[in-house]
Amino acid sequence: MDNQIVDLYLSNPKVKRDWEDFLTSLKITNFSANEVDQIDYTIGIYSGDDLVATGSVAGNVLKYIGVCNKGVTTGSRFNAIVSELVNRQFANHIYHLFVFTKLKYSDSFQHIGFSELAHSDEAAFLETGSPDVNDFLTDIPRVDDQSDKQVAGIVMNANPFTRGHRYLVEQAASENDLVYVFVVNTDASLFTTEERFQLVKDGTVDLDNVIVVNGGDYMVSYATFPAYFLASPDQAVTYQTTLDARIFRNVIAPALNITTRYVGSEPLSRTTSIYNDVLTRELPSAVEVKVIDRDQTLTSDHQVITATQVRQFIKKGEISSLTAFVPETTAQFIQNHLTTLQKRIQEGMNIDGN
Amino acid sequence: MEIKETAVAGTLESSDIQIMISKATDGIQIDLQSDVEKQFGDQIRQVITKTLNDLDITAAKVKAVDKGALDCVIKARTIAAAQRASQTTDQPAWEVL
Repeated sequence: MDNQIVDLYLSNPKVKRDWEDFLTSLKITNFSANEVDQIDYTIGIYSGDDLVATGSVAGNVLKYIGVCNKGVTTGSRFNAIVSELVNRQFANHIYHLFVFTKLKYSDSFQHIGFSELAHSDEAAFLETGSPDVNDFLTDIPRVDDQSDKQVAGIVMNANPFTRGHRYLVEQAASENDLVYVFVVNTDASLFTTEERFQLVKDGTVDLDNVIVVNGGDYMVSYATFPAYFLASPDQAVTYQTTLDARIFRNVIAPALNITTRYVGSEPLSRTTSIYNDVLTRELPSAVEVKVIDRDQTLTSDHQVITATQVRQFIKKGEISSLTAFVPETTAQFIQNHLTTLQKRIQEGMNIDGN
Repeated sequence: MEIKETAVAGTLESSDIQIMISKATDGIQIDLQSDVEKQFGDQIRQVITKTLNDLDITAAKVKAVDKGALDCVIKARTIAAAQRASQTTDQPAWEVL
């Protein structure tokens, strides 16, 4: 039968070679391990012995979708592949899916029910299913007369929440009526999402005009900005952060009346520093970007406060060195959970990244 | 019948319609994507709404991606999605068909 969909097991070297050859012929050529290893499963359509269509899923993201339309109605194999992937994800109770694709394919996905969140000159980022971005925005708490207020936003991973983060939030809180702190939702850090979120909440509880919100899938998530979590070339970082910035500018900021985004200056992490540059390029004039210099007077010996350094202290068990870097609430948490955290590091959690 | 979870029925292939139903607080909201929206959009929405009403569903969020489905297909897919969403697939609502 035409369009018979089969599972492709990439663990089989022959299948994997055919799959790579087919995608390469369609100019999809990035088969680096950190991309391919994320794949949960792959499906395909054969015509005779030739692979003519394929698609894969990694978590809630569709990947490596490639279709040859030779001899069939344009779009029929594409629709068959995507609908199979979507249905399988739905059957697994994953009702909210993303795709990150070349700009020229954005229309094809929109044609089958995806809606575009943002696009750049090269790439587009789309979602389908439920809950979508409107549901996400509706659920965010608001204050009275928010449209007349001066509102700012900060996005942080806070792994964990340090005095540096606190300083950034304080600055924003003193200059605005309302500050949203979006905590990165992706659970790929030493501190779990729940722990990071709670530490931000605990560390800002005295600031009345700060609302701490989970950033969901729309701010520095595994879907929008995988390079934040995986070492990646600069070019990939720029592509991804451009889309991430545009989602913030076009979708998130207008819905919440956010007119300023605060970021900390970034002397140490290359990825974050590219991200800051891209934000500064993309967000104005809709959203002003304020880069706050790290206040080196926060520590007695003028060190730059970084969460990376805090994680090193945890690894070495140097609790006393920690206290200069993190607020009381975070220090307490680390002290109470030191063995759990150290165990996570021993079990291979990478602590040198972001 | 009450919507308890998100559920889906149908495919994105030609002559079919994919219907996703999720919880809503009040009313039936339909988000329809169709190539023949201009000609048959109202008709498609009406079939979905009527089918849901026949199932006593008054609040639901529906996302429909139509690929040129006939009314009988729209109805069948809507019933399937609604029964899955309300966890009543073990008691098929034959009388609605």
